[in-house]
Amino acid sequence: MTKPAPVSDRRPPRLAGVGLHVLMAGLSLTMVAPFLWMVLASLKTMPESMDPAWLPKTAQWGNYLEVFDVIPFLRFMGNSLVVAGWVTLLQVITSALAAYSFARLEWPGRDRMFFLYLGTMMLPGIVMLIPNYEIMVRAGLMDSFLGLVLPSAFSAFGTFLLRQFMLGIPRALDEAAEIDGASKWRIFWDVILPLSRPGIVTLAIFTFMGNYHSFFWPFVMMKTVDNYTLPVGLLFFDSEHGQVTNLLMAAVTMSVLPLIVIFVFLQRQLIRGIQIGAVKG
Amino acid sequence: MKPRRRLQRWLTGVAFLLPNIAGFCAFTLVPLVMSFAMAFTNWDILRHNLFRHDPLRFVGLANFARLFADTEFWRDLGNTLFFLLGLPFAIAGSLIAALLLTRVAKGRAASGPLLAVATIVLVASAAVLVVGGFSRNGVLGLFGLMAGAVLVAGLLSGGTAYRTLFYLPHFTAGVATFVLWKKLYNPHTGPFNTALAPVLDGVSAMVRAAPAFFTYGLPALCGCAAVAIVLWQENRLRRRWEDGEAGTAAIAAGAVTLALPLACFLRWQGWSLALALGAAAAAAGLLFGVTVRRPRPWGRARSIDAGLSSELSLALVGVPLLLAITGGMLAGPALPAMAVAGFEPPNWLGEYAWAKPALMIMALWAAIGSNSMILYLAGLSNIPPELYEAADMDGASAMQRFWHITWPQLAPVTFFIAVMGVINGLQGGFEMARTMTLGGPAGATTTLSYFIFSQGFETGRLGYASAIAWVLFGLVFVFSLVNFRFGNRDVND
Repeated sequence: MTKPAPVSDRRPPRLAGVGLHVLMAGLSLTMVAPFLWMVLASLKTMPESMDPAWLPKTAQWGNYLEVFDVIPFLRFMGNSLVVAGWVTLLQVITSALAAYSFARLEWPGRDRMFFLYLGTMMLPGIVMLIPNYEIMVRAGLMDSFLGLVLPSAFSAFGTFLLRQFMLGIPRALDEAAEIDGASKWRIFWDVILPLSRPGIVTLAIFTFMGNYHSFFWPFVMMKTVDNYTLPVGLLFFDSEHGQVTNLLMAAVTMSVLPLIVIFVFLQRQLIRGIQIGAVKG
Repeated sequence: MKPRRRLQRWLTGVAFLLPNIAGFCAFTLVPLVMSFAMAFTNWDILRHNLFRHDPLRFVGLANFARLFADTEFWRDLGNTLFFLLGLPFAIAGSLIAALLLTRVAKGRAASGPLLAVATIVLVASAAVLVVGGFSRNGVLGLFGLMAGAVLVAGLLSGGTAYRTLFYLPHFTAGVATFVLWKKLYNPHTGPFNTALAPVLDGVSAMVRAAPAFFTYGLPALCGCAAVAIVLWQENRLRRRWEDGEAGTAAIAAGAVTLALPLACFLRWQGWSLALALGAAAAAAGLLFGVTVRRPRPWGRARSIDAGLSSELSLALVGVPLLLAITGGMLAGPALPAMAVAGFEPPNWLGEYAWAKPALMIMALWAAIGSNSMILYLAGLSNIPPELYEAADMDGASAMQRFWHITWPQLAPVTFFIAVMGVINGLQGGFEMARTMTLGGPAGATTTLSYFIFSQGFETGRLGYASAIAWVLFGLVFVFSLVNFRFGNRDVND
């Protein structure tokens, strides 16, 4: 019988570590290769984009400016940012208030109400989409930003996420505030809300991203080109001038870039949020 | 408690809930009721049109009757289910990525020689690019540069850079990346086919050189692999049954896993083989029963569905593997005849047979480094190290450590990911298909959500579309129940 190796030697040996890093670098590069092609294709001239070679002769940075002449790109981008921003703001406010009620206040029927909320998270969004469309038509909100923002401003998921987060805040803190005679609102505003900031940041990123990407609802709601959000605008660009690969790729690059920047800076909060969110089971 | 205080507490609680509940009623509850009502009417989008005079009527179950008679519905349901076949690959990819990332993180921090090599590659590629200019052949230099940069970043960050890059496709996935992939798939100018053409030429030359291997050898090899997998699984199931880790339902699930690809094989080979294989299956079942050494008393079985989630998770990986092997057995003999003319790279999005796989490959790209990977990373860090230490004492191999510790410990995570993947997959596919294929060619990529869109917003039959949405809801609901019923219990085990 062989002698068992000491536990501390379980780390991979040096050479294997080198191979592992090379493998990981190769895999990572494969994952981002499409983005590399995208950037290179956006720098080609129109005839060059008919050529399968990856590199352009000289980089045509002017393509990025030309995009603005072909479609109202900045307008699309602005629409997307405004819609996603408002949705995020409203959703954080409504979710935080509701989460506080579910996590900290004792009231008859609270748990039954919470399960009702949880249950709606199972509903496919598409079931509500059709009647919401009718509601927007009746309310005269078609083709308006208000109609785009309102249905997304209230979220069971956000409430759930923040409730999970608030449950982790020690109760002693609000009990101390209560003894000092603070009202429920004061406790919420001065104690719970500041302590929930990491959770709120997480929810904000999630909501913002989700609405920046959101396609179905803006696609059926928006009729005027100037009101398109970025995804709808890109589809419009593709269907109108899809052959102009270099400009199309320049537009795609510009719409992906903010995401990459946001992600690189906020990935820590995002990863924590995914882990909290998955506990729902 | 005094009733007055009770009321006061209730009022406070509800006051905080009010903004949310108002929106909840307006945009979830009311639409829900409305959608249910609409599903039983002939509600039409054109009702807002002056030229439409057909009055709004209650049509009873007509929408549902029409739906179940609609061949388009069954086709789209089939497409949706077909797309779910990509899920096991995504799960396996996420797990492998998480395992690799964990291993990198556990390894030593930046090793000097490797850092030096990476830096040299980086500098050399940069030099090649500068000297050679931004030339047409500079793409290799560019790749070298990128690889060096990634390696240096990975070494300096202890592997976090790899995680970031893995996660990027998922984070950016949306219409923008769909448009990008549409260009990548272009049969004439896209990089896929440019790279594939020489590879396929090589393959067809290979097939032409040794037709006998592909006619007889490949099916034989695949057959052996299939037999080995069946025996391994049978052995595994028997052990789990004996140890009381798996109940009847889990054993049945494991057996179905084996039978499913077999059924596909029979479907292709004609039913004459069915009798022989059916007899073989019966013999295998008998063998299973006879070779169980310590029959577990039925009364003491922990529960019928013990270990079910673990078996189902494994089935998710096993079924595609067996299907691939079955495919090898079927395709091998046909290859030599096809190779005579040489293989052409597919016209990905334009071809009925390739459109679905094309979308699945793109989805896989976005799914490997997704939330699943993050959950697996968390799951891996939660496995008690003592388990591995004990396994090391017993001299367990890496494979044994994986199958006996890592995989069972991760089973709850896998189960959650799989069920969520099915739930999302059933509702998905619209944005992808709308951007890249318009649901075509010939409806090959039309999923249920796309069907709802086209019926509701293109044809204008909102009542009919609501009925489809409710059928979709029924499907999703079943899987949510599965999650509630089996998921939680396993987590608590």
